[in-house]
Amino acid sequence: MTRTIKIDPITRLEGHGKVEIFLEDDGSVKDCFFQIPELRGFERFVVGRPIEELPRITTRICGVCPANHHMASAKAVDGCFGNEVAPLAHKLRDMYHHAHYLHSHIAHFYALAAPDFVCGPDADPAVRNILGVVAKVGLEIGGQVIRARALAQDIQRIVGGRATHPVFCLPGGVSKGITKAELEEIRPMVKELSGFADFSLKLFRDVVLGNKAYVDLILHGPYTLDVQYMGLVDENNAPNFYDGQVRVVDFQGKEICKYKPDEYFEYVAEHVEPWSYLKFPYLKKRGWKGFREGIDSSIYCAAPLARLNVADRMATPRAQEAFEEMFTTLGAHPCKALLAHHWARLVEMVQNAEMLERYCADPEITSDKYRVVPKQITGTGVGIVEAMRGTLTHHYTCDKNAICTSANLIVGTTNNNAPIQMVTKKVAKEFIKPGKEPDQGILNMIEMAFRAFDPCYSCATHSLPGQMPLDVCIYKGGDLYRRFRR
Amino acid sequence: MKTLLLGMGNPILCDDAVGVRLAHDFKEKLTGFPGLDVMEECSVGGLNLLDIFSGYDRVIVLDSIRTGTDSAGEWYYFTAEALRETLHLTNIHDVNFATALELGRRAGMPLPELKDIHIFAVEAKDNLTFSERMTPELEEGFPCYASAIFSEVKKLLQA
Repeated sequence: MTRTIKIDPITRLEGHGKVEIFLEDDGSVKDCFFQIPELRGFERFVVGRPIEELPRITTRICGVCPANHHMASAKAVDGCFGNEVAPLAHKLRDMYHHAHYLHSHIAHFYALAAPDFVCGPDADPAVRNILGVVAKVGLEIGGQVIRARALAQDIQRIVGGRATHPVFCLPGGVSKGITKAELEEIRPMVKELSGFADFSLKLFRDVVLGNKAYVDLILHGPYTLDVQYMGLVDENNAPNFYDGQVRVVDFQGKEICKYKPDEYFEYVAEHVEPWSYLKFPYLKKRGWKGFREGIDSSIYCAAPLARLNVADRMATPRAQEAFEEMFTTLGAHPCKALLAHHWARLVEMVQNAEMLERYCADPEITSDKYRVVPKQITGTGVGIVEAMRGTLTHHYTCDKNAICTSANLIVGTTNNNAPIQMVTKKVAKEFIKPGKEPDQGILNMIEMAFRAFDPCYSCATHSLPGQMPLDVCIYKGGDLYRRFRR
Repeated sequence: MKTLLLGMGNPILCDDAVGVRLAHDFKEKLTGFPGLDVMEECSVGGLNLLDIFSGYDRVIVLDSIRTGTDSAGEWYYFTAEALRETLHLTNIHDVNFATALELGRRAGMPLPELKDIHIFAVEAKDNLTFSERMTPELEEGFPCYASAIFSEVKKLLQA
């Protein structure tokens, strides 16, 4: 007879999700499913609206990744108008995007990832949170986290007019530039954020790499998958979060494909399972082969570790040093240790900060040539950016009056839907054994498997039914006999 | 006393919009009320709320709720001391709001006490479908629950 363990809803994950673990009679894991509900009707909602409105509407899909949607949407709309874009606009959009990355990565690392490592993966859930982190590393760091986030938000506000739900991207450019006075306001913020990115890397070295048990968990634990990687790169195969080509590399480092945004349909397809609300993207030319690891698997990962795995180098010098240190320590590039997502996120923060420094030193950044008004309607556009949580694709078509006729989105987290399923099952099998009842610590170790991806289902569901306690139900013979809740 | 009236939700996500719609409705009626700021639309949570709440002595939140009961259009009132059920004040991509407030307070930010964060939440029926209109239950019931909530908000402001 099969028993069921239900983790519902998942803690520290945006959106309502649940993990159901089915046990054999002897207590070993038979199967495991990760499920979340999906928002409905967005692609239908935008049909019939002026295509230029979409960048403003798509930010409402998600309160966590609004800037990513804004940028991908703006690029898709640019495509619908013949891709005539002011070069300065790309810089200003990228500047906004880097600040958004910093804001998001800081929140993820300190609020979600750090509790597992600073407080310990099996620490009491009551203290395994950001308050537990600052209790260990010092209250002043809590203040710095709040301040660094606010600075990143402020940069977005200055560059784009708004920190959340931006409206500044227009076909052919942006609605505003930045003045010299605004640039002077931004400079010290960037300097401080740059220092904070370095500090965060140092903290990771001290707290995580300084603890052999954590290093063993990262390198030798069950948190690995033999699947492929995807990320946007520039002409030097360095990570580019706003522009470039999508590169896919296998877990042995061999390039599988590299495609331009408007070619995505030839390379990526989506598989449907009856038990999941979300689709499962896979490499189209390989065909759907199931939730299977292997060098010929059609499943790929996106998000920070994948971006660094597909890159030959970073785009900036200090990030390059951090990149080299990371992969040297991990012993391989690409690296299959999924908990290294957290480290990769910090390496990306360094590049984000350095790119902002680069833009602050750019003599053209305060120019007023931030938009060209498009003169043609070409009818189709694909915009791809890297959302923090994975490669984000917006594909639109419009008619001769620039009214939207279709929209297709592949959101960041969706790329990781299949690997999240697979690693969650793998980790559950590792930690839940015959005779070993799951406790809070074990259940958190399972959550750590998917938390590494920073999954965000705001795109799929916006709200939560309460304070998201960890609700674990264990069934025997179909009856509930134990329940954990915090 | 410096007060913030905050509408929470997504204006194009069916019943999720109810907090935003209420704030929009109340804003006009409360124009000129001393010490009151109104933010009609807010869909962030966790640490992000610290930036919004900082500097206010009191915050009145208008939000939606899913209690799992078949009572769309019913409304509830509670303070942040009982912050368990509201939809948008929790956000586990980030920390939950109570944790964020505690962190902010320990870091010296000027934040309202939990008892001074007042939450009015309307039971939602559908918050998963993109739509500029709410479900008939919430659209048709709006005048009734908006009026009742507004009376309570006014009492709070005049207390």
